[in-house]
Order: sequence, then C-alpha cells, then structure tokens
Amino acid sequence: MVLVVLRRILVFATTVVVASIATFLMLSILPGNAARIALGVQATEADVAAQATAMGLDHPAVVRYLDWFGHVLIGDFGDSAVSRQPIGPEITDALGITVILVLTSVVLALLFAVPFGIITAVRQRRLDGAILSGISQIGVAVPGFLAGMLLVTVFAVTLRWLPAGGWVDPGDDFGEFLEHLILPAIALGSVQGAVLSRYVRSSVLEVSREDFIRTARAKGLGTGRALLRHGLRNAAVAVMTVLGLQIATLLVGAVVIERVFSIPGLGSLLLDKVALRDLPAVQGIVLVLVVFVLVLNFLVDLLFTVIDPRLRRAA
Amino acid sequence: MFVSIATVMAASMALVGCSTGSGTTDAEGGTALTVGLLATPGNLDYTTTAGAAIPQALLYNVYEGLVKLDNDGTIIPLLAKSWTVSDDGLVYDFLLRDGVTFSDGSPFTAESVKFSLERVKDNWTANGPTYLDPIASIEAVSDTEARITLSKSSNSWLFNMSGPVGTMFTESGIADLATAPIGTGPYTVSSFKTGDSLVLAANADYWGEAPYMSDVILRYFTDATAQTNALLSGDINLISGISQFQLVDQFKANSDFQVLEGASTGEVTLSMNNASDAFSDVRVRQAVMYAIDRQAIMDTANSGYGLLIGSMVPPTDPWYDESLADLYPYDPDTAIELLDEAGVRDLTVDFKIPNLPYAVAGAQVVKDQLAKVGITADVTTLEFPAIWLDEVFSGHDYDMSLIMHSEPRDVSVFAAATYYAGYDSPAVRAKFVEADAADPARYTELMKEATTKMAEEAAADWLYLQPAISIADADLLGVPRNTPSLALDLSTIAR
Repeated sequence: MVLVVLRRILVFATTVVVASIATFLMLSILPGNAARIALGVQATEADVAAQATAMGLDHPAVVRYLDWFGHVLIGDFGDSAVSRQPIGPEITDALGITVILVLTSVVLALLFAVPFGIITAVRQRRLDGAILSGISQIGVAVPGFLAGMLLVTVFAVTLRWLPAGGWVDPGDDFGEFLEHLILPAIALGSVQGAVLSRYVRSSVLEVSREDFIRTARAKGLGTGRALLRHGLRNAAVAVMTVLGLQIATLLVGAVVIERVFSIPGLGSLLLDKVALRDLPAVQGIVLVLVVFVLVLNFLVDLLFTVIDPRLRRAA
Repeated sequence: MFVSIATVMAASMALVGCSTGSGTTDAEGGTALTVGLLATPGNLDYTTTAGAAIPQALLYNVYEGLVKLDNDGTIIPLLAKSWTVSDDGLVYDFLLRDGVTFSDGSPFTAESVKFSLERVKDNWTANGPTYLDPIASIEAVSDTEARITLSKSSNSWLFNMSGPVGTMFTESGIADLATAPIGTGPYTVSSFKTGDSLVLAANADYWGEAPYMSDVILRYFTDATAQTNALLSGDINLISGISQFQLVDQFKANSDFQVLEGASTGEVTLSMNNASDAFSDVRVRQAVMYAIDRQAIMDTANSGYGLLIGSMVPPTDPWYDESLADLYPYDPDTAIELLDEAGVRDLTVDFKIPNLPYAVAGAQVVKDQLAKVGITADVTTLEFPAIWLDEVFSGHDYDMSLIMHSEPRDVSVFAAATYYAGYDSPAVRAKFVEADAADPARYTELMKEATTKMAEEAAADWLYLQPAISIADADLLGVPRNTPSLALDLSTIAR
C-alpha cells in the first residue's frame, strides 16, 4: 500500500517536471518578441532591447527555467510580463471559475446521462428506447460551441431570459451567478452527457447479461430491481473510467465555451497570455492545468475504490 | 503609424463577466452605462505599454492633458483655458484652469505640467515619447501659467499633446500606473480585471461639468459574436467600433438600436515592401494599384462599409484630398502594360498577412485580382501580433502585407526610411520636415503635397478607411460618432 502511494507520488512529480520542461521548451522556440509586443510598433529598437533585458529574456534558457521552477516550488509564479501583477492570484481567480464551470457541467452531464442511459438500455428493444438512443447520438455529434451559440440565440437574444455571457462571482450576487452559469454549463455538459449516456447504456446492457443478475432474477427480483441493486454499482466503474478520461476533454471544451460566453476562466487567460507572449504567465497556467488534470484523475481513481471494494484489496 | 494593436488585443483573449451584468437600468432610471469593447488593456499604464486599448479607456475619461481633440478632430482647450504662440512659433504660453485637483487630492498646477512632460523623455517607452522631442524647456511661470519653448517650430506637437503623451500626472500619483491611475478626468477607475472589465465611477471632485453617466462599465469581449449577442440580449448598451459589418444592417432594421456611422483614423493598407526586389520599381507598384479593385475588397471584407481614400489621410485631417481616391482606377490592362514596361514576367510575391478577419478576407480578393494581371501572391497567414511583428514589421521579411494603420496622423511615420514599408524618398521626408516647421497657413498645403507624392509613387495601396460604426441603445444621446483620436470620450453620453 505504502509502495503504491509512493509510486503514485513519484509518477505525479515526474509528470509535473516533464510537463514544465516541455512547456518551457515549446515557449522558448515560439517565435515572437514579448518586448516588442509590450512596447508596440512605435518603440525604438533600443527601448525594445532594454525591455527585453528587464523581462530577463537575455538570460540563457536553462537559467530562466531553473529560476522560474525554483520559485514555483515555493508557490511563487512570478509577475506577469504584461499586467506586471503577480500571476498567482490571476491564475487562482481564473481557475476557480473554470473549476465551477467544469464541475457543474459534469454534474449536469451525470444527472442527464445516468437516467437516460438506463432508460435507453432497459427499453432498448422498444421504439421509445431507440428514439431516445438516437437523440443521444445527435448530442454526441453537436459540438459544445455550437450548442452554446444555439442556447445564446434562443435564451439570451430571442427570449432575453438569461444573459448572453459574462461571469458574476457567487459571493457578489448568487442569483446572478447562477444566471450566468447555467447556459455555459449546459453547453459544456451536453456533449459529455450524451457521450456518457452511451456508456451508461452499454455498460448497463453488459451488466444485465452477467451471471449475478441472472442469479438475482432467479431469486425472484424483477429486471429493474435486479439492475438497481446489483447492476448499477458494476456499471458505474466503467462509466467512471470514461469520465476520468473525459476530464481533459472537458477542460479543452471549457476553453472554447469560455470564449463563446466571454467567461474569464483559465482557458481565456491562457489564450490571452499566449497571444501576448506573456511567457511567465503561460508557463504558470499550463502547469496549473497539468496539476489540475492529474489531481482530478487521482480523485477518480479514489472513487473507483469507493465504488468497487475489490479494487481496494488489489491496491 | 501603428498597426492596430487594438486589434491585437482583440485577437487575443479577453473575457467578460463583470459583476454588474446588466447596465441597462439602475434604480434611478439609467445613469449606468455598459460598453462592449474588443481590445482589452493588459494593464493600465500607457506610458510603458503599447496598444490602443489603454488610451481608449482612460484618455479624456480618467486622464486629461492641456488640450483635447473634439469629435471633429479639432484641437480644443482642456486643462489649459487658452494659449498664445509667439510669432516665431517657438514659445507657447498656456493659461491653466484654476482649482483643478487630481483624484488623489493633489492640486494641478504649472508644476504638474513641467513634471509630466519632463517625465516623458526618460520614463515613457510606449505611445510615442518622441512626439515631444521639439520641446526645449518647460517653465512654471506661476501656478496657472506654463511656458513651453520649442527648439524648432512644429505644427504637429500640439496635436500630439492631445494624445497620450500630453497626459497630466501628479508626482504623488505615479507609484502604481499599471493598476491605479490618478488623473484629473471626469471618471476614476474603481476596478479593473484584465481581459474582463474596467469599471469607471464619476469623479465627485471633477472641475468641469459632471458626466451624466455616474457608472460606466467597459466590458471586454474576445469574440465579436459574443459582443453583438450581449447587445441584443440587453447585457450591454453600446458597442463602439463594431467589427462585424455584416451585422450592421440587422441593427439598422431594429428600432431598439441606433447605428452611428463615422470616420476612424484606421487606414486599411495593402503594403508593398518598397525595398524588396519585387516592388522596388515604381511601375510594378503602380501596376498593383491599377490591378486592385478597392471597392470589391471593401465589399468583401467590410460588407461595403468604409471610405475609399487613396492615401494615408482620413477626412478628419485638414490635408485630406478626396480626389486621390480616383488616382488609380481599377484598370487591369494598364496594370499589364506597366508590368511589361518594367520587364516583369511571372512575378511571385510573398504575401504575409496577419490572422485578422479583415486581412484574411481582403487578401483572398487581392490574390484573385493580382492573378488576373499575372502576379502570383503566395499568401501566408501569420499570428498577430507576435509573429507578424517579428517577420514583417521588425524583420522586413515580406513583399506584401495587409494591415490597418490605426494611429491618428501617421502618414509621416510611413515615410521613414527604416519603416517596414521601405519607402525611401528623401524628397518626401524633407517635405514633411518642412511642413512641420512651416507657417501654419502653409502647413496644410505642404502636407497635401507630401501625401499626394506618396500616393503618386504608390508607396502603398491604401485600400480604404475603416468605418467607425457604433451601435447603441436607441435612447442613448451624445454617443461619439467619429474616432479622431485614440480616446473613447464617455463624458458626452447621456440618456
């Protein structure tokens, strides 16, 4: 058990270091002069050179990397080259927004996928089940940004029920927070919900053919009750695996959705900083994203052992 | 000069989401205004950070100078009540307004003028500190009298004083320019979240008439569709400088909104590298002028909105000459003749464009039209600003590009030999120098001569002037129509 945990931590640390080096290298070879972008086309070459020195761009890459990563280890992400403010708080603010968005969309996706998947599985040979299954197929095919644009057109522009975009912190006004959250969360969650419902359906179907279900039915339980009591927990393992894999996809989806809805989350911040070649900020954001995905995957792994006691023993 | 770094930041990421979601109504019946903009400021310090976004938000609203440009492009008094100029054009005596304070409470006096302008040379790195080079000395004669002596007579420096470099600062208010600007203007900054929003509140101690709108939220969008959706859904009240021209007709047909069409200072320019092998011959450049149907490009890229200008001069400048728009009519046959005359066959040019919507749309039309006269344009789309600045602007590694030059009165910059256009005409440069030092009466005439010469020599193909189209709630009054300066003057807007 201790060995497993240690190995996990080692893998985690190695992934973070490798990711940080990869990010750093990629950004180093990225063309574009951050100093020129900051000062604009009117600035003289001399001013641009002085600005580059002030940004530390004249130091060797290895020195810059070690300096940066050393500070990150003690929790200091440095100052943004553009806003000249500490990057840490900027990332924390944006991360909080993205986490709320992603988690809400996961919850919505599950709320939709589980009942929908079960129904389509149980009723697979009937017309209504087939129709519902077809609907989820469409859901898989519609990209999140398109769903977002349609939602905005209907609920914000035409009906004017909800805002077309923007963000309000829950602490400022909880009602407005929810108003601003609902459309993007649905847009982001819809594709995931559709994908997950397919998996719920297939794993429920698979489980329903298992021996233990047949045994349960032989003992006198109806199909539905047998599935509910013995099947769901087994089906959940497969669904959780998919959900774990989907988290990275969700983050990528959040980048697009944040843009469609003008939400100042981590994806928006990242694109913003890349365009401005704000390298200290980009490095910090990418690192946080990597850690975020690793931590979420780790949490999903933990959930497995909660759902399936057999995995506890294996660990 | 200045290649719209406004668009830069527009192209970059921004975001919305300010805590005051909808600015349309407040309890008192509408003294709050929410404006949707595309270019987000990276910070609030325009002394060291380029880009039109910062002056757009702060100039005339939070910061003021001695003079300002009104909406027609005329220089009018601001913190200076009046001024006199000596006969030789060297000594400017400004009479300053009394009882003006900065938002930190410190007084505005002639010492502030001296402090602010002397700071420019050593402390400013962006927004054209060289504009103040003509200044030889600044003297605080009394609290309300400032005397500025120039080393040589200059017609352009007072105009430049209406822009960012003329901003008045107080010594106690420059500690944190990036986040906490201290000025004398009608508004103060109450919060700023980069990529998201900038919230302005009316300055209770403003020296002039208090602005109608007590709270103004500037919301920054990265996506033009999200911006127009926000207007349609009532989240914002005003879009200043819409970029999706194909939507303008839709707003015109909607009585909830008003559409204001004005002139900007953004010349959309098909630049030709005059120093390259492809375009060093004036006849080849002129062939391009005849080969290009500018109206067709404007129709494609801008849904027909804009103004054909034919030179790098917008109508808000006194030396605008509307006849230059017809200097090179669309005439492919003449283009082919000129190419023959120059002995050019099977010309292939390296056409490097920024990844901005108007450039991508326009470049396709240019490519097709050039093909008709036998010029092959290899189009490469470069990330803007980062890579375009590197390769085209700094590296001069291109034959042709397509970019908007958004700075006011940037034509003389275009003629600098080291500029990316590579247009090296000592005669034109001398003419600009002569114009700047000339008697004001001769100034306009000499500027006209210089800009006409540039058009005749086809220094570039100035395709069209970007329109300044604002779309606002129908009940808003006093929305600025033109954008003769970098500033978005909010003080005139009422309901």
